[in-house]
Amino acid sequence: FLICVAIRANYPLYIRSVPTQGELKFHYTVHTSLDVVEEKISGVGKALADQRELYLGLLYPTEDYKVYGYVTNSKVKFVIVVDSSNTSLRDNEIRSMFRKLHNSFTDVMCNPFYNPGDPIQSKAFDSIVSTMMVQAC
Amino acid sequence: MAQCVQSVQEFIQDSFVPMVAVLCSEDAERVTRKNSLSFPELLRPFCRLTSEGHLRDPNNQVVVVKGLRISVTGINTRPPQTPEMHKLLSQAVSVCQPPEGSPANVITAGDYDLNISATTPWFETYRENFLQSMPASEHEFLNHYLACMLVVSSHEAVPTEQFLKLSQEQHRIQHSGEFTHPKWFNPNTLKYYVLLHDISEGDEQRAESVYEDMKQRYGTQGCYLLKINSRSGSTGADEQMPDPWSQYLHKTSIHSPVNVPLVFADGVSETHPLQLDQPTDAGYPSNNVSQSVNNVDVTRPEKQASVTSHTTPTPRGTCLTLNDHDHIRQFIQEFTFRGLLPHIEKNIRQLNDQLVSRKGLSRSLFSATKKLFGGGKVPEKSIAELKNTAGLLYPSEAPELQIRKMADLCFLVQHYELAYNCYHTAKKDFLSDQAMLYAAGALEMAAVAAFLQSGAPRPYPAHYMDTAIQTYRDVCKNMLLAERCCILSAEILKSQTKYSDAATLLIKMTTEDSDLRSALLLEQAAHCFINMRSPMVRKFAFHMILAGHRFSKAGQKRHALRCYCQALQVYKGKDWTLAEDHINFTIGRQSFTLRQPENAVAAFRHILINDSKQSAVQQAAFLREYLYVYKSMSQLTSDSSLPQLPLPCLHSSQTRVFFGHERRLAEGEKQAATHVSLDQEFDRDLSQLWRELEEQVVAVANRGTVPITFQPSQCCLNSQTDNLRYPLAVVEEPIIVEMVFRNLLKVPLALSALSLLWKFTPKDFSGPQVVCAPFFFYLARLKLLPHKTGELHVLGVVYNLGTGEVDNSEGSLAGDLMCVRGQQNLEIQGPRLNMTKEEKTSVKYGPDHRLDPIITPPMPLLEVFFINFPTGLLCGEIRKAWVEFVNVSAVPLTGLRVASTHPEFFTFGSATSDLTPVTPTAAEHCSAYKTVAMPPSVATVSLVSPAAFGVTSSDRPIVAEIPLSQGVLGPGEALQIPLWLRGPDREGVHEINFLFYYESTEKTAKLSHRVLRHTAFICASRSLSVKATASRSNTLHGRERESEERQEGEDKNGSMLVFVDVENINTSEAGVREFHIVQVSSSSRQWRLHKCINPVGDKDSKLASRERGKLCFKATRCRAEEATSEKYTFADLNLGNEQIVSSTTPCADFFFRSGLPSEPRRGGVSTGGASQMRRQSGTDEGVTNIVKKCSEVELDIIVLWKAYVVEDNKQLILEGQLHVALQTIGKEACSLSQKEEAQEMVLLKFKPDVPPPVSKPSLEQLSHLIKTCLHYPESYDHPFPQKSLCMVPVTLMLSNCSLAQVDVIVDLRHKTTSPESLEVHGSFSWLGQTQYKLQLQAQEVYRLSLKACFFQAGVYNLGTPRVFAKLAQTSAMCETSQQSAMPALIIINSV
Repeated sequence: FLICVAIRANYPLYIRSVPTQGELKFHYTVHTSLDVVEEKISGVGKALADQRELYLGLLYPTEDYKVYGYVTNSKVKFVIVVDSSNTSLRDNEIRSMFRKLHNSFTDVMCNPFYNPGDPIQSKAFDSIVSTMMVQAC
Repeated sequence: MAQCVQSVQEFIQDSFVPMVAVLCSEDAERVTRKNSLSFPELLRPFCRLTSEGHLRDPNNQVVVVKGLRISVTGINTRPPQTPEMHKLLSQAVSVCQPPEGSPANVITAGDYDLNISATTPWFETYRENFLQSMPASEHEFLNHYLACMLVVSSHEAVPTEQFLKLSQEQHRIQHSGEFTHPKWFNPNTLKYYVLLHDISEGDEQRAESVYEDMKQRYGTQGCYLLKINSRSGSTGADEQMPDPWSQYLHKTSIHSPVNVPLVFADGVSETHPLQLDQPTDAGYPSNNVSQSVNNVDVTRPEKQASVTSHTTPTPRGTCLTLNDHDHIRQFIQEFTFRGLLPHIEKNIRQLNDQLVSRKGLSRSLFSATKKLFGGGKVPEKSIAELKNTAGLLYPSEAPELQIRKMADLCFLVQHYELAYNCYHTAKKDFLSDQAMLYAAGALEMAAVAAFLQSGAPRPYPAHYMDTAIQTYRDVCKNMLLAERCCILSAEILKSQTKYSDAATLLIKMTTEDSDLRSALLLEQAAHCFINMRSPMVRKFAFHMILAGHRFSKAGQKRHALRCYCQALQVYKGKDWTLAEDHINFTIGRQSFTLRQPENAVAAFRHILINDSKQSAVQQAAFLREYLYVYKSMSQLTSDSSLPQLPLPCLHSSQTRVFFGHERRLAEGEKQAATHVSLDQEFDRDLSQLWRELEEQVVAVANRGTVPITFQPSQCCLNSQTDNLRYPLAVVEEPIIVEMVFRNLLKVPLALSALSLLWKFTPKDFSGPQVVCAPFFFYLARLKLLPHKTGELHVLGVVYNLGTGEVDNSEGSLAGDLMCVRGQQNLEIQGPRLNMTKEEKTSVKYGPDHRLDPIITPPMPLLEVFFINFPTGLLCGEIRKAWVEFVNVSAVPLTGLRVASTHPEFFTFGSATSDLTPVTPTAAEHCSAYKTVAMPPSVATVSLVSPAAFGVTSSDRPIVAEIPLSQGVLGPGEALQIPLWLRGPDREGVHEINFLFYYESTEKTAKLSHRVLRHTAFICASRSLSVKATASRSNTLHGRERESEERQEGEDKNGSMLVFVDVENINTSEAGVREFHIVQVSSSSRQWRLHKCINPVGDKDSKLASRERGKLCFKATRCRAEEATSEKYTFADLNLGNEQIVSSTTPCADFFFRSGLPSEPRRGGVSTGGASQMRRQSGTDEGVTNIVKKCSEVELDIIVLWKAYVVEDNKQLILEGQLHVALQTIGKEACSLSQKEEAQEMVLLKFKPDVPPPVSKPSLEQLSHLIKTCLHYPESYDHPFPQKSLCMVPVTLMLSNCSLAQVDVIVDLRHKTTSPESLEVHGSFSWLGQTQYKLQLQAQEVYRLSLKACFFQAGVYNLGTPRVFAKLAQTSAMCETSQQSAMPALIIINSV
């Protein structure tokens, strides 16, 4: 299981999950995880905010999933949920996945035809996520 | 966690209170019954002490007991069994609903604004009921009875005996072992003897004496005389008395409806959930309260209000005065301070002494023996305990339990410090003994005691609680205890603002076994999240949803709905569509089951109208559910106004309105005018074009001016048309409204029985059933037929909505079931206004009156049919067709006109031509032309004025009037007239628009005229290409002068040669075999074709595919009187035996309509005339004009042809005509199609404005000023031997082509230097004057006699004279060398 989300100000810009059944549950999980993300961000002091590590690490483990978070400097949140039985994904892999995701996301944002706030419909972004999902599963 | 009424301390204190049992005699019970209350009930409101109590702890420290509450219950009270308890709890919760319009506090977190109920009274109710219904456990003594009140009435014969009896009874209950249930704290329970005296009945003296007796027997501290019932029940009914019982008892009464039947039916005696005992012994009279509630419908009451209304009819405490209340209060105080507290103090002391005495020796001994002997025993015990947690480990007198008892006592009297120490010690003991249940209990209480210690010497040991909960749950499997522990702990954590820990604790407690508990705890957890310092909104929402889910599983629908609604606030409108849909769906369902169909419909509607990402199956389910709910709602409300349906999406702005009948396109051979139909797409350019056409025709109809009120007719209104005005519709003519529905779902929707909603006249039409396919637009067209004049407003559409799944087996039955009727309004917003500043800064929309037509009185209605109207034509082909005008209305029409974008395409014939209506069939094989049999000869000439063909010089005849008999076409009348068509000059598909204009005979203000549109498409294919050149004949004045020129007489230089090149460029796909040039005609005001000088002679010139033919004609100037007139001279030169009269109807019509007459296009240049030129001749412009003028011709050639076409094995003869306009001598002119092919040729046309303002006329142009011509004998014989010099007379004809005076210099001296001149061998010389200066008047011909002198025989070129010409007033001298290119050869023969 793996799902990726990019969220800006509580509005999901992109959600994709494999497999698709039980999507509702994932959505709830991801949405709830935003609270943790916010908590983590606000936990960092103001002075340190600039040097803040974008990668937030494991947000919280549930019985079945591990939820990882990542926040860009412009407060765009990325969340990855993986099956907790998936041991091949270590912290470093997740970190690099996030970095890839962030890069691709930046590309999307650079598209002059992209209207900020719209759901992401970029094929390039899609394919990046797909490859990540294939690798992870 | 939500806010509570009580503080945490109060809550915990109230959770653990000293328990007092009551044993009542029958008589005493009867006394209290007068007030509809049992004795414990009677005491209940007064159980909280208002004053402080004091007692001394073992160290003689005074302990202050504040606000102590005692719990008084009947001795027979049993805690309920688990299933009953669940039922009771769930009832308690379901009854306790948030009050309507409860104070909701708004929490703002980030960008969320949440409206959350501040309190959760249902949870508090649950908690209270839960804690009070906890069964007494072996491992703790907090809810064991500390004391027992023995109540005897003074009315009794021998009260003391009765006391004795009761005392024995109590002893029996406690010690006989028959009864497991009431658990007692100590073996020696405090017995308190109460003599109940009924003032209204009993003898007070007697009571006093009995009391005195009791005092002696039981001591003053152990008995009490309670006097109540100061008045008889009946008297004081009207008196307003405070009812302190209501708040305690109504809760009980709520439970009663279920509880009471259960009690009696099951035969389980002495059960009641709460402290309040329900007397079930045979001797106890039945409880009035429960009786009263019994009458109530057993189904759960929905509201508190209804419950209270049930209970009010039986007022409680009617026999009690305020004095009595004071008595009772006093009694409780007395009991507590004199009886209970000393009893507790004594016990504590006793226990403490025991412990202290045992401490040194026995404790160590105890543990030592344990170590020695119990090595093998302890693990056994723990295993046994693990297996069976309910198993008792300790006998009731075990020393460990003594500590616990002491701790509990201390706790009850609020001596928390000592309590904590004792609990702590006990905990250690229990743990070392692996007595987990006991240990957990001690841990729990230790933590609570630690928390309650005032001044807080030690922090709250949260881990104690965690361990306790874990032990209870995992080891002891006692969920009730775990839950209690959890609730306490969460409450404490909450009070310390450790919301996160509290939430974790609560969430951990949610299990599968109890939905209600899980739901409540999850809800509390959610409240914890929202109350955190930085509110965790999303966690709140998520847990609310979980809670809602559990509530719905527990059957608490109202609470479930509330939870979902609160969660929806977070998810709403944030693009979390899946989650949002899920919530909405649940809300819809719950609302529906709760009979709130409006909310249900709203929720379902929300799911469906959004562009949902759900799967098709899911959507279908949603849709069915929605329809079902909707249907049931609409059945409930029998309103006449139909509700609004959200599906499918109605695109109001795309609504189109069409006025008029749907037209038949073809009727047999007749082809109806296309007019406007709804199937056509709106085209802005096209509509503009129609508008212009209409404007023109209206202008013509109104004698040249367009009225101010003119508005173009619009038959079809859509979003792009001008909808500011109210459209006009005619009575008895339908109005068709087309609506665009869009199904955003992935499942089909069935719409049926559509009809329009409108205001005004009653007539309506409903469309057929339609299925709106998923994701598709569907256009519904509904027709409305007005019968009266007035104003109409189309408001909306009514339809049945059903699922599109048509089940074959069930057919229409299924459709009927899942089908609801509703409406959607058509609200059309006009375009956004953007004119004024105000409009620019704000968003304002203009009105749109598309749907508000005004119905006008009847108007004529024209239908136009075309007969034999071709679809394909050759370029220039002439075809005769027929057009039929039918007035289908009941009103006569008049003023029929037609305007077209291509007036050159058709003609109705000139007014002069006879209009005898030949039937179309008869005319089928005839030629379209009017012909006259005549052998080819010299051209016949006829003079025609263009005005006869409706052509004025100023503009092209866009509008044509159609003559009607008496100018009126009556109702039902038809008129057929012929129509000639000519194929467009350019090949390709041509769109030709006709606009028929007509008026009513009576002028109505609303609708001045009506129009009918027709669009025809003509495919033109290539036929012939005609190129014509005119050249000045040099020879005219020479040898031929004698023959013809003489006849023309005064004609000075008026003839030229016209070469016509005709090429068959037909690509033969149309099956054209060959073309015959039948006739060539000319039309001009100055020139006419005179004679064919073709060698082909009298034969038709035949042209097969790709062949080219050349025809040569001589043209002459018209006679003077002809030339000056405005009339055109038509000259026909037929090549065959038939002559086509080109000056009559079709031919001349098309000639004039094609716009070829060159004069109008050239504007004022030529019309200015010579005189004007002369005056301006000083200027260069004048020069240019003059120079140009001299080379201008104005001759239009009409080539008439026949084409032989094989089509379907039949030979057809097609006729046609092509026009070529000759404008300049020497320039090749083409029929129009050729001009388009070679674009650059357009530039060569002499238009005054096209060339840049040339200051000097080009040499090319100047060279045409003077035409020179040498006249000499072709051969000349001269006897050279005799005479060596041969003199030949040569005449140089100089003719001035221009209309100005020209100075000419003829220079004979110059030898030609051009290469071709050099080739000429031998030389000759001119004799006489070598240079002449001449002045030529306009058009003057001057003959200059020269003499050439030859020296020997040979061939000589005489073309050596050089002629220079200049306009008289200008200084620029130019050489004209135009004729020198042509060698003038003379042969000199030597004889």
